[in-house]
Amino acid sequence: MSHHDEYNDEVLLYLDNALTGDRLKDFRAHIRGCAECKERLEQEQALSLLLRETRPLYVAPLPLRDCIAAARESAIASAWASDDLGEIRSASWKEWLRSFLHAGLNWKPAVALTLIVALCLLFVPETMQRVRATEYVEAATEIHKKYISGDLPLECRSASPDAVTTWFAGKTPFPFRLPSAQFTPAGKTKYSIAGASLVSYKGKPAAMVAYEMGPEKITLLAVSAGSVVAAGGEEVRSGELIFHYRHNANFAVTTWSNRNLTYALVSSSAISAQNPCLVCHQDMADHLVFEHVR
Amino acid sequence: MNAFSENGELLVRALDEFFDGLYGYAMVLSRDRTEAEDLVQETCVRAIQASESLRPGSNIKSWLFTILRNIWLNQIRQRRSTPKLVELEADDGPSAVAVEPSKDPHAAYVAKVERDLVREAIQKLPEEFREIILLREYEDLSYQEIATILDCPAGTVMSRLGRARSKLRGLLFDTLQAPERREKGAQ
Repeated sequence: MSHHDEYNDEVLLYLDNALTGDRLKDFRAHIRGCAECKERLEQEQALSLLLRETRPLYVAPLPLRDCIAAARESAIASAWASDDLGEIRSASWKEWLRSFLHAGLNWKPAVALTLIVALCLLFVPETMQRVRATEYVEAATEIHKKYISGDLPLECRSASPDAVTTWFAGKTPFPFRLPSAQFTPAGKTKYSIAGASLVSYKGKPAAMVAYEMGPEKITLLAVSAGSVVAAGGEEVRSGELIFHYRHNANFAVTTWSNRNLTYALVSSSAISAQNPCLVCHQDMADHLVFEHVR
Repeated sequence: MNAFSENGELLVRALDEFFDGLYGYAMVLSRDRTEAEDLVQETCVRAIQASESLRPGSNIKSWLFTILRNIWLNQIRQRRSTPKLVELEADDGPSAVAVEPSKDPHAAYVAKVERDLVREAIQKLPEEFREIILLREYEDLSYQEIATILDCPAGTVMSRLGRARSKLRGLLFDTLQAPERREKGAQ
């Protein structure tokens, strides 16, 4: 360790204006007589200036801010929907808290408070579930875009549903299943599987399967329903399943949850909206039902 | 005044004030926009649920950063056995770029370029260096506050910060040596 190392902490404290008294005098005297430490101090000062000028390093995306604000407001709006304090029904959480703060504590607000606390805890998770569902749509769209732009190569190339399912075995933390479980041998296949890749969703392995129909590419993302549950968009019920349709960044996205998995099917908005449904239902007896879905 | 309303008021103010800071911390920890957003959301939810545990005079900023870090550490533990993944996260969107409207276009451009360079350099550092740079240099937390968040002695914070800055200086050498920046430093 060189004697200059003894001044490492002193340099940091000096930059923070935290050196005082004799320590400050000693440090200044050392700097005057030591070219190496003087150079080091100047470099540290330049770095501090650069870091200061690049504040803030990150700004939270507006949609995230909006989501959090919406979560608060939704919780409060839901909580107040059944009480008689309509004047603050539309207030934001912040405004509501302020209102409550100054309202005094007679029995009615006290009872309402208990109800609100309970409902907040109930509705915030529900709102967060919707936020996560939206994020899942965003992620599926991003994956689709990467795939069609060639930035996401297929790690498994096979048109066989069984081969693709087998390929995912042990790679995902959930037992992967293609959503089409009732293929019949009859009928001409409209789409074919192009292959599959292992991708990441929120840091966890997820399954991506690519389909093709001529030049048209469709991707299917599958994650554990423990990560996200399909929600939002236009809902269409089919048997025990609920499909959620929406358009995102010029793509049509269909999400649904089934047997502990949540799927997202992404295709170009330009193609007919029911066509992606036929990825699962083209050979099934109920395919006519899906040809009528908008 | 009851505890819930007082703490709720404090929490709302704190979340507004430190929202960007929390997001920045989540970004340097995860280096992934989607994960960072998820971390911030989880932090908000946990903070709301735990707001009653806040005591008068609590350091709410440190508390929020600690919650976020604990959520992150839990996630790391859970994913230790997962295989290597294809990274799919996109770069920051336009809304994530900080722009000062008062700057002229050239200055704004230079600031953006420098911010990108600094971000890139920081993201190349090991996690323990990344977080300490953010907490000290961008969030202005004291050594003691950082020590509380990182659960280590204040002396460790200082020595780690010194090493982190040294490494960062090396990564930003060209930027720091640029003529315009040297002029600024001399002023």
